Amino acid sequence: MSGIERAEGKTKDAGQGAPQGAAAFLVTGTLALIFLFADVVLSIYYYRHTSGDDLRWLLALLDIGLTLSVLGLTGKRVSRMLVSMKLALTLLFVILIISVIGTILPNKDQVATSGWVNNPLYDFYNAIGLFDMYYSRWFLFLLFLLATNLTWCIYKRLRVTLKNAIHPRVDVRSSFIANQPFTDSFPGRSLDDFRRAISGRRYRIHQAPSGSVLAEKGRFAALSSIVFHLSFLFLGVGGIIGGMMGWTDQLYIPDGSTVDVPHTMMRVTNHRFSVDFIPVLDERGLVEGYRPVDYSSDLEVTQDGQTLARQTITVNGPMRVNPAGANPVLNFLGSTSINFHQSAYDTTETGQYATILEVNYMPGKLLVYAGFVLMMGGITLALYIPHRRIWARVDESGALLVGGRSNRMKVSFARDFNEVKAGLVQEPRQEAGTDA
Amino acid sequence: MLNTDNLVIAEEILFIATVITYLVSSVLYIWHLVTRNRRAVVMGFVLLALGLVAQTASLLLRWYTSGHAPMSDTYESLSLFAWGVVLAFIITERFYPVKSAGAIVVPSAFLISLVALIFYEDPADLVPALQSYWLWIHVSIAMIAYGLFALAFGAGFFYIVQEYLLKKQYENVKTAFVLLLAGLGAVLGLWFGSWWSEPEMVIDAAGNPDKIYAGIDIIKIIGSLAVGLLLGLILGSLAGRGAARPAFSTRLPSLDVLDEVSYRAIAIGFPMLTIGIATGAIWADIAWGRWWGWDPKETWSAITWFYYGAYLHTRLTLGWRGRHSALIAVTGMAVVLFTYFGVNFLLSGLHAYA
Repeated sequence: MSGIERAEGKTKDAGQGAPQGAAAFLVTGTLALIFLFADVVLSIYYYRHTSGDDLRWLLALLDIGLTLSVLGLTGKRVSRMLVSMKLALTLLFVILIISVIGTILPNKDQVATSGWVNNPLYDFYNAIGLFDMYYSRWFLFLLFLLATNLTWCIYKRLRVTLKNAIHPRVDVRSSFIANQPFTDSFPGRSLDDFRRAISGRRYRIHQAPSGSVLAEKGRFAALSSIVFHLSFLFLGVGGIIGGMMGWTDQLYIPDGSTVDVPHTMMRVTNHRFSVDFIPVLDERGLVEGYRPVDYSSDLEVTQDGQTLARQTITVNGPMRVNPAGANPVLNFLGSTSINFHQSAYDTTETGQYATILEVNYMPGKLLVYAGFVLMMGGITLALYIPHRRIWARVDESGALLVGGRSNRMKVSFARDFNEVKAGLVQEPRQEAGTDA
Repeated sequence: MLNTDNLVIAEEILFIATVITYLVSSVLYIWHLVTRNRRAVVMGFVLLALGLVAQTASLLLRWYTSGHAPMSDTYESLSLFAWGVVLAFIITERFYPVKSAGAIVVPSAFLISLVALIFYEDPADLVPALQSYWLWIHVSIAMIAYGLFALAFGAGFFYIVQEYLLKKQYENVKTAFVLLLAGLGAVLGLWFGSWWSEPEMVIDAAGNPDKIYAGIDIIKIIGSLAVGLLLGLILGSLAGRGAARPAFSTRLPSLDVLDEVSYRAIAIGFPMLTIGIATGAIWADIAWGRWWGWDPKETWSAITWFYYGAYLHTRLTLGWRGRHSALIAVTGMAVVLFTYFGVNFLLSGLHAYA
């Protein structure tokens, strides 16, 4: 299988090296210049206005585009490097190490109260995003590079898998069969005996002109692994859409007040915030203090004076509201809803409660959820749906040679194989029985 | 008669009974490994099953009295973990000839439940962030995954020991036991130390608890670590000396069975962890408004997930078997332990409920 892949890669690269490469060079060069230009302009804008719109996601994407097109200019090895397992493993390893470091360092909410502020290099660390590293430009760059690599790998695997499923390897030599993990030979048996022995097991039979036979089951099994790996791209694209187009804001609303929801035409009213407390006992069983056990806000969302929704929300019961006039298809897909989450609460100077809401807009969530479904389904199928193959042919000595393999569930394949074997061995006795 | 207070007392007594049953069962399983006494293993199994019944009853009582699934504090989480380990072992033991692995699995379950008992607290109402049916879906699936990885660890460890025994490399057998128990001792010591140093529990305005190690008592932590390490070294060298004999080999399952059990456990555990992380992400989206936020627990669960993903790739793509796979499964336990305990005790984040 890997031999086919390698040969393919070679012919392709040779083709790209031909004179027609001049046009490709020009296109890639232009692309690289465009990416470079956009990257520089937006970078300058972004670093001059750090409080402006968050462009990190877009900048990281531009960085990836620039890197890929510059790599493209340097020649034919790019596609091979991008598709390599080595790059994938290196990137994974680097990302994991960085993630571990990230869990030890304080995040941007904690850093102000940590000892890091006294560090002489604090400003530098802050500038390179050390305390917000998972959303820093360079971390996103690494993630996007991994995603690019994954896309290439999926594309390549898909081609090989479909090719093998449509044109399975039927024509094999005796030595190939003898080298299979499960193999045996039966003197005096024919291919018809093999077909009879394997019939009723729902194997698909292929016959090669040279006289070898392949019985195959689960030829599309490798697709489940591809689906599983595809799910990462769903999560990635969903995450990018959410990161680039989505937003998150906090709202502070005292009881009975109404505030504007940023980025939208909506207004939200907090009719009443309520909270239940239970006493916290110390070791002697005396009341030490009180802790909130449940709280909720009665909210009403309006747009142009019209009520869109009224609901009481809790920490585990958020409210999702679609803006008036939003595209109904997008509504259905869940990409337009504004989400109101109960975050915390406060008491105002006048002694009334104020609810603290987290309001966000997260498009791309449907892709993420689809990604989770593909991921859970894909991995289960990939681990438990086997691709089973049994080859048979009559060798030079006239014996029927049978050999097979399965990439998963080997115990159950061994049972299959042994039953086929038994079918091939038992038959003469039955014939002898009828003769007598 | 049947008021809540009595039920809470019954629940605690049942759990103490469970711990004692697991202790006796552990002794019987180890006795069986040493002497090959068949009666010991039968009695050990019966006691283990009785202990499981008692623990199930205790957990159900706690569920009933507190009104929420028993997965919210350290005691409940650990008790459930021990429960999962015992259940996984009892089921595995019915299908594979791995009785002797009970000598490591049952004592582990005993230790976990003993630590749970130390952390025992009366059932309490849930903080608002945990009041969701996702609690028991998310936590129980993650626990099953952790339990299966623990099983893969045990089988992997005995694979390595069995291989050394068959090759007659008895020094390596001793080293394996010393490393195992010293590592276990260090983890328990570190854990005890960080509990003993009493980090300040703070509940923020959102009702999410957080730990602050202000005035952290380093000596307590390092001291417990040293004591745990020392005890582990002593016990490990004793156990290693006992195991480094030709006869011990016949008391362990065969290499093939150990390799298969270790792989099977991960092949079930990995999809479980996948579902655990996905349900966690869905719940996070509901409660916190984002499906992934690089919270330490989230990041470490992703690290664990990639780790076992790498195990599956070496096995299914590169065709690794035997010792290499066993070593990966054994090392993986360190990652799992850090994700399960280390994150809660050493790092701060949204999952600091335990």
